[in-house]
Parts: sequence; structure tokens; C-alpha cells
Amino acid sequence: MKALLFERKVARYAAATVAGRLKPGSGAKVGPLRLAHDIDEPELPGPDWVRVRPRLAGICGSDLATIDGKSSRYFEPIVSFPFVPGHEVVGDLDDGTRVVVQPTLTCAARSLDPTCDQCAAGRTNRCERIAFGHLAPGLQTGFCEHTGGGWGLSLVAHRSQLHTVPDALTDEAAVLVEPAACAVHAASSAGGTTIAVIGAGTLGLLTIAALRHGNVHGGNLIATAKYPEQKRLAKELGADVVVEPDALERAIRSDTRSLKFGDQLTGGASCVIDCVGSAASLQQALQVVEPGGTILMVGMPGVTTVDLTGLWHREVDLRGCYAYTADDFATAFDLAADAKLERLLSATYPLDRYRDAIEHAAQAGPRGAVKVAFDLRNERNR
Amino acid sequence: MRLPRGSFPWIGPAWPSTVERPPDEPRTGTAFETDWARKYPTRLARALVLDTVGKGVVGMLASPKVRGDDRLADVKGPVIFAANHASHVDTPLLLTSIPDRFRHHTVVAAGADYFFDKRWKGYLWAFAINAIPIERTRVSPKSLRLASQMLDDGWSVLIFPEGGRSPHGWSQPHRAGAAFLAARAGVPVVPVHLEGTRRILRKGTGRLTPSTTTVTFGSPLLAAGGEDPRQFAQRVERAVDVLADEQATDWWSARRRAASGQTPSLAGPEGSEWRRFWSLGEGRRRGRPQLPRWP
Amino acid sequence: MPRPGFILDVDRSTPPTLFWHGEGYRLEKLPAGSRVIYPPEPLAALKDPDGAVRHALLNPIGDSKPLPELLFAGMKLTICFDDISLPLPPMRRPDIRQRVIEAVLDLAAEAGVDDVVLVAALALHRRMTDDELRHALGNRVFDAFNPHGRLTQHDAEDPDGLLHIGLTDAGEDVEINKRAATSDLIVYVNINLVAMDGGWKSTATGLASYKSLRHHHNVKTMQHSKSFMDQHRSELHSSNWRMGKVLRDSGIKIFQIETTLNSDTFPSQFGFLQKREWEWTARDRAGFLASSKALDRTPDRMKRSIFHSIQAPHQMTSVQAGEVEAVHALTTEHVYRQQLVEVQGQTDILTMGLPYISPYNVNSIMNPILVACLGLGYFFNLYKGKPLVREGGVVIMSHPTPWAFNPVHHPSYIDFFEQVLAETTDPIEIESKYEERFATDPWFIHLYRTSYSYHGVHPFYMWYWCAHARQHLGGVIVVGGDPRSVRRLGFKPASTLRDALEMASDVVGRDPSITHLHNPPLLMADVR
Repeated sequence: MKALLFERKVARYAAATVAGRLKPGSGAKVGPLRLAHDIDEPELPGPDWVRVRPRLAGICGSDLATIDGKSSRYFEPIVSFPFVPGHEVVGDLDDGTRVVVQPTLTCAARSLDPTCDQCAAGRTNRCERIAFGHLAPGLQTGFCEHTGGGWGLSLVAHRSQLHTVPDALTDEAAVLVEPAACAVHAASSAGGTTIAVIGAGTLGLLTIAALRHGNVHGGNLIATAKYPEQKRLAKELGADVVVEPDALERAIRSDTRSLKFGDQLTGGASCVIDCVGSAASLQQALQVVEPGGTILMVGMPGVTTVDLTGLWHREVDLRGCYAYTADDFATAFDLAADAKLERLLSATYPLDRYRDAIEHAAQAGPRGAVKVAFDLRNERNR
Repeated sequence: MRLPRGSFPWIGPAWPSTVERPPDEPRTGTAFETDWARKYPTRLARALVLDTVGKGVVGMLASPKVRGDDRLADVKGPVIFAANHASHVDTPLLLTSIPDRFRHHTVVAAGADYFFDKRWKGYLWAFAINAIPIERTRVSPKSLRLASQMLDDGWSVLIFPEGGRSPHGWSQPHRAGAAFLAARAGVPVVPVHLEGTRRILRKGTGRLTPSTTTVTFGSPLLAAGGEDPRQFAQRVERAVDVLADEQATDWWSARRRAASGQTPSLAGPEGSEWRRFWSLGEGRRRGRPQLPRWP
Repeated sequence: MPRPGFILDVDRSTPPTLFWHGEGYRLEKLPAGSRVIYPPEPLAALKDPDGAVRHALLNPIGDSKPLPELLFAGMKLTICFDDISLPLPPMRRPDIRQRVIEAVLDLAAEAGVDDVVLVAALALHRRMTDDELRHALGNRVFDAFNPHGRLTQHDAEDPDGLLHIGLTDAGEDVEINKRAATSDLIVYVNINLVAMDGGWKSTATGLASYKSLRHHHNVKTMQHSKSFMDQHRSELHSSNWRMGKVLRDSGIKIFQIETTLNSDTFPSQFGFLQKREWEWTARDRAGFLASSKALDRTPDRMKRSIFHSIQAPHQMTSVQAGEVEAVHALTTEHVYRQQLVEVQGQTDILTMGLPYISPYNVNSIMNPILVACLGLGYFFNLYKGKPLVREGGVVIMSHPTPWAFNPVHHPSYIDFFEQVLAETTDPIEIESKYEERFATDPWFIHLYRTSYSYHGVHPFYMWYWCAHARQHLGGVIVVGGDPRSVRRLGFKPASTLRDALEMASDVVGRDPSITHLHNPPLLMADVR
């Protein structure tokens, strides 16, 4: 089987770290990711497992971080090498059913009984057993040695991971269901009169769409976007005000009629959703969040240095926001249809051109793109 | 004829005893010729010295604050600067403080009996401060002619109308010379008040104590048609008093006191000599120095 | 004898024409057949300005007693003066305000007046810094009044510092500075740089609150002021005059002093900026070449500080005092005498070079909104009769229009540019949708009152100032401007004048008539 394979190769990983710093996406050229033509298809680990043949598989920010050697060492024990990346997958079952994979490898997939408390309560995104059970460690499909991933011609998935795609929904929209589920999950934790969304990449835009979906939040929605295309989409998806990143503080100050001391707003947004996850974005979030407000970290932060005095002084809630539950997926399907999410899929590439694809995804913003995906529908021997 | 060495013409001739010797032309005092000091090479040299050494020394010694120079903005031609006089520092201080337009075009009316009594002194002062010899004990036609000639030639004249440095700190009554000259030449008098120079170098001592000074220029005054020079001189004196008041308080308070005739006189209070000295407050020990309070 | 204004018909032999371009200038070749309007040369200055001021105070115009008769011991006297926005560029010391105020205070001192307060009539402009006040008033006045808190700056947001006087016939609120309103006499010291300044606009605008200003600083008024430089056809002035009537009827006594300047705008080393190109001497040419080459290599910040350190050798051409309307009529004549140029007929395309300074960025950055306001607000409106450019015509302005703001002076401008202009450039929509939010923003009010920032609503006024021009014109093109900010303003960017003329022909047709406003030094076109 043909697949992109990510192996544990320390020297290459170090090279990718350096290259990725110089030019985002260039970790693909020197790093431990390679196109393998003849690896074995993953075996079905158990009776409830089925084979999925990916049709489209998205390239996610966390994939790029891995390829460019930027991801945190936190992940080391919860991934298993070598793995085939790709967790934003729409694919076919052997019977031709189109499905979207919910990639989290939780107690159910790991055949653990009894399940952990979190899974028992339905909060499968918080599963405590992602490194245990009969599967190799792996927080999601696409980071686990045994399951394969979306960037290959075949992967295996537990029945609990599958969501059937309605016939009306195109592959192009369906491939965005997984990230949209993340956004739906984030939006369900957000609230208040003024919500700020930092970052207008895929996650940022989807979060805006999710916040506006079904008018869950009537509050004022202020978003930052660096590039013209992002601005246009943010506006279309329902942001009330879209500003350049360095103008966010002024926009929120003006919207909330806040005063300022130094660079800190005295009031601010009730909820700030950070879809970037850098030190700068978190610092900015702290600057513009109201006392007692909430910052949701949707973007993956990694090792970050931030001055938390404001967090302490203003009793700000800083909350993580990871993945989704099955309910979020159900909502995400509606969102994908209603918000016409296929417009966020900017480009697709065959596996052979993976370097171009990854470079494109890493520079999506400046190149006017949002989501870049691999198209495996025309691969030979599929 | 072979002329022996060491005699005429190698040395000067002897005056024949048969010929009557004319009386010596005086070449000091008011007779000292200063035209050369206003010709180009000298002017340039003086300007250089004044702007470098002069300014430097005055700056270190007197740290002058110049005020009211904007009042001279509209004045075109030469003027007479009339200042109070307490110290030898006054002249260099003023010469380095008056606006550029006038600075290198000003002569100093200096007492012929003091500054020009020796020829070397004459050369020194004529070069250094562009002094001209003026009779200060009386209004002399010769001095007046010289000074008005300067004004006609476009030179401003700096005069200390008190006629000399103050011996005790209070100013002396103005003499009419400056006023007379101004009326005659039809030029304005610019009253100037110098504050603080007595602290640096007072009459009768040779010790220099650096201190801060303030130079305040007043609005130019013109003699009214038919005004008596003595009255005009008093007007100038009062203007200097108002400048002193302005320097000590502020312009508005000074104007109000001037309007109501309450400007304190620089000549000090009436009364006996010791009371005049006493009210100066000089040399009196201040009370215990105040320690700065925390913080 | 200074020559009057001049209209040059460009032909092949004509040397290139000087265009201001922000902190710099360019020579541009105008097509043959274009017209260039040159301002009149500077009028002769008053010989004895201080004497003239005193004479004016003692011999007032209109229904007013001489100033000494209006002053008495124990009275409450308030002297108001124009702020940093006048004159442009700031004039060399001594400033006119210093001369006049010293003369007034001299008389007040003679009359034994104790209670005197000076008020900078800055309406919604930024506060002046101590240095700026010192420059305007001179050291003597500043040192005498500032330490005692008797030198104040009008605060249009001070709830305890304003007095509501009444309503005009048209229902407009008249609310002005309380200290001034409760004084026995207001002496207002004006500098009338352009025909818009002075008259009742001094008191009714300079000392007013937002509540009062909004009645005439709005889109409707500006669209009905054709132009606001011509007070008889200016709704802005009609409203101010109505307010003046209310002030007068309420018993407030005003002694108005107005002064005019000649157009001697630039110091001799920049003399070529106010000369006709064909009269440039070798020295002028050398000055132009050296300065423009040097400026090309100078960073923006430094260029700005070089230009803002220019002090104009402006001199006083007249001073008149007394009753507001009589004084203003005479002042306006003097302004016209210096600035008016008779022009025959309108033009299809009006070109103008915008300099580095506008009334609202003295010692500051000319941000894009101010660029628009200077071109479409001020220069466009420098006409009497008909606009220089025909209805549906095109204005071509030359300015680098950088996306740059002074965050201390213009904080609300940044928000206006980023948030409001990103949505719409239509003045009416902007007024109805956003004005109140900015005007009442507590942060902007705080900055206006305690820092050196223009009021939150001020950028709106800049936009309204352009309203008449926007309604009249078929297009606006900015030559050499930052395309991003030019587009944000709703204008079109062009890299060269030739391109701009080409673009304009889409609107006004082939073979248009072109007129260049050779300004500053300021001129006002009397279009027949």
C-alpha cells in the first residue's frame, strides 16, 4: 500500500526542526516523513473494526507541527512510530458507505471494559486511556502505529469511530467535518456579550461559523485575520468585525467601551478564543479579555512563555479545548451543510506531490488558502 | 660722510633746543582712537573670541537665562542698551546675551578714566569688548559726538547709565547721557535688567563665585517729542525697575504694580546707609538649613 | 508692490510645475492647455505691529467702546485665543497671539483688573503642550499665568466647566465655556488664516461643547456650505451666527480682535516653494535639487521632524477689534485681499499637491483621514462662487498617504480608519451608525481631557468636511499614495500624474480641461 509514513528518525527530526524554523513546511523535505509505496495495510485489530479507504484527507496544523519538528515532547508517550498521519478523513467502507472518521482512539476503540470515567460520562475527548489497551499508544488515528492514517490508501477504524456521510454532502465538505467538530466543541464552551476569535486559519474560521451556527451566540463577534481571503471568509461566516491582528485590542476596546492602562484593557471581551496557540496570541488574549472572562485555547500551544500576571490579577479562566464528542460530530455535519464548508477547501493534491501539498498548507494564509487536503480518490491500487 | 653707528638716524633725533617743543597730544582717555577696532580683521577676531571663549566663560560662570529678547523682534536699526550695573561681569554677560543681530554690532560706552587710562588697557578693551572711551563724570560734547557717530554708522551702543558699578548693591540714579544721546540720534533705548552678577563678582572684591544670572530685555523706548532728557532717563530707569520686578515675580504682576505705581525701586528703600544695606539681606546667615523631608 | 495672483496657461515651453507631496515636493509636467493658479505674493506687513494692535484696541470698529473703557477694577476678564491649528505653519516668534494678549493685558493692568484667565479655545482639538503654549503666548504671559492655573485650555467634556446659554431659533443648543460665559468681558484673540476663521465661529465653536458643535458639524450642514470658506453661502456660518445672536442676547460681552497674515509662508531657504517656477534663480534651483535629493534619502520620521520645525515668517497685515460682526467683515476683506484670485470658469480635473501639514497635525503625523480632509475639505473648498472643478469632475491629489497615525494625538482616528472606513465611506451612514459611539466613548473622552488627543468624534468631522466635495465630484485620485490607505479612503491610487490623468479621462472624457491649484501659500479661487 502507498502511504506517507512518519518514522522515528532522530537526526531527520532535528533537521526538520531547523528547516521548519527557516521556512514553514520544509520539514517535509528533510524530515522523517517519506512516501512509502509498499508497506503492509494495517490489520484489523478486532471484530468491531472495519477497513476505511480514504477519499480525501486534510492536512491539519498539528500535522504540520509534527512534520516541522515543532510539536511538544508531551506527545511522545501518546503516539507510536512509525505512523501514517492524517486524521481529517472522509473515506469509503468496503460496502461503499461514505464515512467520516472520528479519530480519537478512546476506551471503546481500545476494547477497554469498564471504560474510564470520562468516556463513561460521554466526554470521550478527555479519555484517560489513549496510551493503553490492545492498541499501540496514539491519541488519534493518524498518530497510532496500528490504525494507519488518512494519508495512506487504507486505514482501520473501530465502528464507534464512524459517522455516515449524508448523500447530499460532498466529499469536499465532509473532509471539513472533523475540524468543524473541534470548532463546534469550542463554541459550545464559549459565551458572553462579546466574543473574540484570534486567528482565521481553518480552526478560526470554523469557530466563527460554529459560533454563528443556529444563532447559538447573539453576542458581538470580533475576529482577527491577517490575509484578505481570510478576512472575506471570516466576514461571510458571520464575524461582526474583522480586523488585522494588531488592531484587535482597539476593536475590542471600542466595542466594549473599555478604558486602558498600559496595553491592558480594563474591560474587554467576555470570551476570547485563541485559535493560534502562540505566545503572542495568548498574550494578546490576556490583554483583551475582561476580568473574570474566559480564554479558550483551541490552537495547540506547545511550550510557551507568557506573562500571567493579568490572568492572576483579573481572575481570568484559561481553558483548554481539545477535540470533540460524538454529539459535536453530529452538529458538525449540520454545520458543514449549512455553512457550505466546502468553500474552505482550497486545494487538493495527490500523495505523490506531498511536499508541495505540505508547503501549500504551511503557507495557506499568505497564499490565500484555508484547508489543503490529499485527494486519494484517483490513486492507483486503491 | 660716514655716519657712526648708534647715532642719528640709527636712533631718534635730538630736539634742537632752539626750537620750542609743542605740548604733548594726549593719547589716552577720551583721545584714544578706536576706529581700528571696528574694521574688519579686528571685528572678525573679536566675534570669534566672543562667540567661543566669551560665551564659554560666561556660560560657566554666570549660566545666563535670557528673557524678553523677543521684544526686539521688530527693531531694525541701532539701539542703545541701557542696563543696571553691579559688576564687571555685566559687560561680557550682556555682550554674549544680546540677540545675534546686534551682538557683533555693538560698542560699549566705557569710562574713559577707567578703561582707557593706559594705552595698553585701551587696546585691550577696544579689542575685547569693542569699548569706546566716554567721559562719565559729565556730559561731554566730545563723548556725545563719538557715541552719536557710532549710532549714525549703525552701531548699537551699550551704556550703563548709572555711570559705574553699584558700590552697595542698590542701583544708583541714572544719568541723562543715554537718554540725551537717544533723543539726539532718534534711536530707541532698550532697557535691560541684569540680575545676579553681583553674586559672581562684586565691586571691591576679586573673587569669582559662579552663580546664575538672568538678563531681561525690555521693550524699546523712544523719547517723546520734546521730552526732557532727564525725564526720559527717569522713564528708562523705571522701565529697568519694572524689568527687575518682572524678573523677581512675573510679567503680569509686574505690569499691575507698574500700572498702580507700586514697582519696587532698584535704588532700594529710603533711609540711612545701614538700613539700605540691611534690607539687601546680603551676607546674612540663613536659618538652619531645611533637611529634605522623607521621601 | 506684491503682484496679484496669476493664472498660467501651460504650453510646451512651460517649465514643470511644483506639486507638494507630503514631506516633499515633485516637479510634474502638466499637459499643454492646462491652467496653473498661482497665489498672490505676500502683502506688505504692518510697519509697527505693536503700535497697530494698540491702535486697534483704542479705536474699535462697530458698536463697541474702546477696550480701556470696558475694563474696570474688580471685573472678571477672560481672554480666549486660537489654538495650535493656527497659523500654518506655526509662525516665528513673537506669535501674533503674544503681541495682542500682551497689549490687552497691559491695558488690563492699567485698569487694575485682577481676575484674568486665559483660555485656549480649542473646541474638540487636542490640548496644547506647554512648549506650544509658550510659543503662542510668549514666555512672559506663560510664566505669569500658567503657574497660577490662570492659563487654561477649554474642556468641552468638563461637566462643571460648561454653561448652557439657550437655544437658537433653529433649536440648536448653545453651550460654551462657563468661565468665559460668566465673565464681565470676553476678549477673543483670533488669527484669521483663511476666510473660514473668525466671526461668531470663534466663540460659538472654539469654546463650545460637543452638544453644541454637533448642530453644525454634521454632514447636512457641510453639504449645504458651498463653500464653508465663503461665509455668505455657508450653512456652517449661518448656524454659528445664529448661536452668536443667542450669546449676544444673553448679555455676554465679547470684544473681538481679529488679525490677518500675509502669505509669506516659508523661510528663505525654501523660497522656491512660493515662487513661480520660471522665476527660480540658480539658488532656488540648487535649493530644490539639494533638498529633494536629500529628502529622498531621509527616513519618514526625520523628514517629518524637519518639516514640522519650519516656522513661517508670516507677518501681520491687519488687526481690527471691536464688535464681532463688524470686525469680521473687515477681516474677511483683508483675507480676500491676500488670497483671492479670479478664475474664469470651472475645470474638469483639478490637481493639487498636498503638503505635510494640515490644521490638525501640527507637530504630528498627517494620517490618511487628514490627507482626505486637507484635499477635499480645505483645498477643494477654497473657492468663492462655484467650485473650481465642475460637478462630476475629478480631483487629483498628490500625497504619499502613508498608513501612519500618531497614537497620542489621533487615537480615535485609528479606530475610525480601521473599523468605520473598513465598512463604509458614506458620510451619512457613518454619521448615523457610528458617530455617537465614538463621541461618547469614555476612553476617548478621558484621553481628550487628560492627554493630548483629539476628541473621539473629531475624525468624523474630518470626514464630514469632505462631504460637499464627495457629493460634487465624480472621482478622486491620489498620486503616489500608499494604495492600501488610498483605497480605504474610497479613492483611487495612481503611481504617476500621467496615469492619474489617464484614469480621470474614464470619468470626464477625453481631452479634459485641467487646472492646478498651486497651493500653499494659500490662495482662494473666485470662480466666475
